[in-house]
Formats: sequence, C-alpha cells, structure tokens
Amino acid sequence: MRENKWLIRILIGGGLGLLFSLAVVPYLMNTRSPSPVTCLLCIALGATLGAATLPFADDGPTLLRRSLFHLGLTALEVFLILWLCLELRDGRAWVLWMGMLVLMYGLVWLGRWIGWYMEVVQLRALLGLAPGPSPLKWRETLPYLPFVLLLCDILPPLLNWIDHVAVADVPVLSGFLLPYIMLPVAGFCSGLSLGKRQGVCPLYPSACFGCYLPMVFLVYNYTALFHCFMVAVPALAGNILGWLYRRTVPKKTKKPSDFPVDNG
Amino acid sequence: MEVEIRVEPGRQEPKLVILAGEESGELRQLAASLSKLALGPVPVIRGEEKLFLPQGVFLRFYADGKGVSAQTAEETYTVRLRLYELEERLDAARFVRISNGEIVNLDRVTAVDLSLSGTIRMTLDGAVYAYVSRRYMKKIKETLNLGRRRGP
Repeated sequence: MRENKWLIRILIGGGLGLLFSLAVVPYLMNTRSPSPVTCLLCIALGATLGAATLPFADDGPTLLRRSLFHLGLTALEVFLILWLCLELRDGRAWVLWMGMLVLMYGLVWLGRWIGWYMEVVQLRALLGLAPGPSPLKWRETLPYLPFVLLLCDILPPLLNWIDHVAVADVPVLSGFLLPYIMLPVAGFCSGLSLGKRQGVCPLYPSACFGCYLPMVFLVYNYTALFHCFMVAVPALAGNILGWLYRRTVPKKTKKPSDFPVDNG
Repeated sequence: MEVEIRVEPGRQEPKLVILAGEESGELRQLAASLSKLALGPVPVIRGEEKLFLPQGVFLRFYADGKGVSAQTAEETYTVRLRLYELEERLDAARFVRISNGEIVNLDRVTAVDLSLSGTIRMTLDGAVYAYVSRRYMKKIKETLNLGRRRGP
C-alpha cells in the first residue's frame, strides 16, 4: 500500500519532468525539440523530486542516510542537466546552483523538523510533562549571545584601532592574534561550555558566523571572510565535544551529607 | 452509587459484579467499558520462577531478539507472550506500543526529547530510554487523548 503510494508519486514526478522537458527546455536551449538525454534527465529529476518526502517517513540514522542519498542524487541530476543540456561551465554559477539546492534542502529539513517538534510539544502536554527545550535551543543559547557580541563585534574594531594607534606597521593583534588564536580558542571554549550545559545548540556556531560577518566588511575586506569560519567551526567543535562530555560523564547529584550542616 | 471492595486472597484478576434492580442501557454501557479494563497481573519468568506482577510496576515490554522482556525499575524479566498478545492483555489507557518492538507504560514517562535527526526519545523513570517510531505517533496521541480523558 505504502509502496504503491510512493510509486504513484514517482510516476507523477517523472511525468511532470517529461512535460517540463518538452515545454520549457526548448525555450531555455533555443532548440525545436530537446534531445532524448535531456528528456531522460528531466524525467529522472522529476521522479527524484516526486519522492522527496520519502526519506522523512523514517527516523534516526535511516532518515539521515536516505536524506543524504536523496540530496546526492538530486545534485547529480541537476549537475548533469546543467552540464550536458545547458552547457554551463562557469564555476561561480555552479556554486550558486548547488548552494541554492542545498539551501532548499535545508529549508525543507527545517520545516519537517519544526513539524516533529510540534508533535513532541503536543505529546509532552498530553503526558503532563514540562515543556522541554525551545526549538533548536534558541532560548538556551541566548545567555551566550553577549559573549558572542563581545568577541565578534567589539573585539575586532577595538584590536584594529589599537593596531593603528599603537603599532602602525604590522597589525599583529587584528591580523594575527585575533583570527588565529583568539577567535578559535574563545569560540571553542564557549561552545564547549554551552555544550556541557545544554547539549547541541546548532544556532550557536551560526550566531558566531553571523555576528562576525558584518565586521569582515566594516573592519577588513572580503579576504577576511575566513575569520567567520575561524570562530564558527571551533564553536561547533566545542559544542559537540561538550555535548559528548555531557553524555559520557553523568551529572553529579549532591547527597544530603554534602550540604553544610547548620549547627546554629 | 454504593461501591464495595472485597479482598479475596489468592485471586489473580479482579472481578467486578454490578448489583442492580433492573437492567438498563446505562448499565450495559458501564459493564462494557469495565470489561475493557485490563487490570490483571502479567506472568513473567525470573530464572526458574514464574511470577505474577501487577501492571503498574512495569516500565516497558520489548522484543530483544530472543523473545520478549519486561523491565521494571529494578529488574528485567522474561515474558512468554508475544508483544501483540501483551497489547491485548495490558491496560490500553496506560500501555501503548511506541515502535514495532516496544510497549511502554505512559504513567512512567518522565521526559520526551527530539534529536536533530528527528529521533523521538522517551525517558522512563528518569533512567531508561525508549525510542518512538514516528509511525506510531498518531496511535500514541489517540491513546493519550482517550485514556487521559477517562482518567481520574
């Protein structure tokens, strides 16, 4: 029954792909009729998109595996259509197309995740349990935001100013110490601390990246874009490591004998 | 309505007798809903010993490859029944199937969490973890909606 449903979706997707190749592709390629390869690729892409919700029917590792496989297959088909049919050879256009595909996939994943989150919220309410963490733990991440702002938005202009005022020739602080030592160490340590307290908080590395991005253009230029990664990647690594520590080392619970005795 | 409880030592499953002057639709409805209550103890095996434990002590029943096991807060026992047979015997308002291989006691759920990969994890008594299959979510919510409304 379930297999039949998926087969129907795949067939509908394939059919729409064929229609697209016959109706739209000739305009894009400036030809009277598309080649059989183009038609086949459009059918394959349509069928793949028709089965786009299939990976989300499962959970856990199967869901991840199937999603990655589906993303890979879609990317391959888009690649072949762009390469063979539209003869796209520009590297920047490739990055743009693939980036759009990954972004779209990410949005679909996020949409699904919010749906599951709402189900869990409903389940908690029905069971009479406490509400639990906020979506993507945004509320739990908030206390770390002042530190991120200090590290990513106050420190770079400050160090840059010191470099210009005190050491005129070599910007050691803003050009070397900040990106290669301060950002990775501070990002890692704060991520570790957050991970140990709250588990994986995916918004934290994103916040580090997003807060530093304006500084790249305000204080430096586009060549300093790697600074964003120098803070976001260690923050992610620290966060995951903190989460692993939290999972491995059980929380110490205080015994009554640990509390100070009031003899007064 | 007058309610009387008589303790009968050795009795395995409670028996309810309704005394009334005449039969009515309401009485038949009450009898039907009471007969649906599965309050009997569950037969489990510990070594060579066969025990009958009350349903409330169980955290979960799960298929472990060899057969079915029943876990309480203290111990794990072997059960000679299949999961579907257990499902029929257990109190439907309290026990619910959460995946192909697991039935949990909803009264013992202390937390429900969602991972980034969409895995839903139930914590029982703060220490035992059970993973919910999303295919069973609808059934779980239905059970909770019906059962909790009927509850105290």
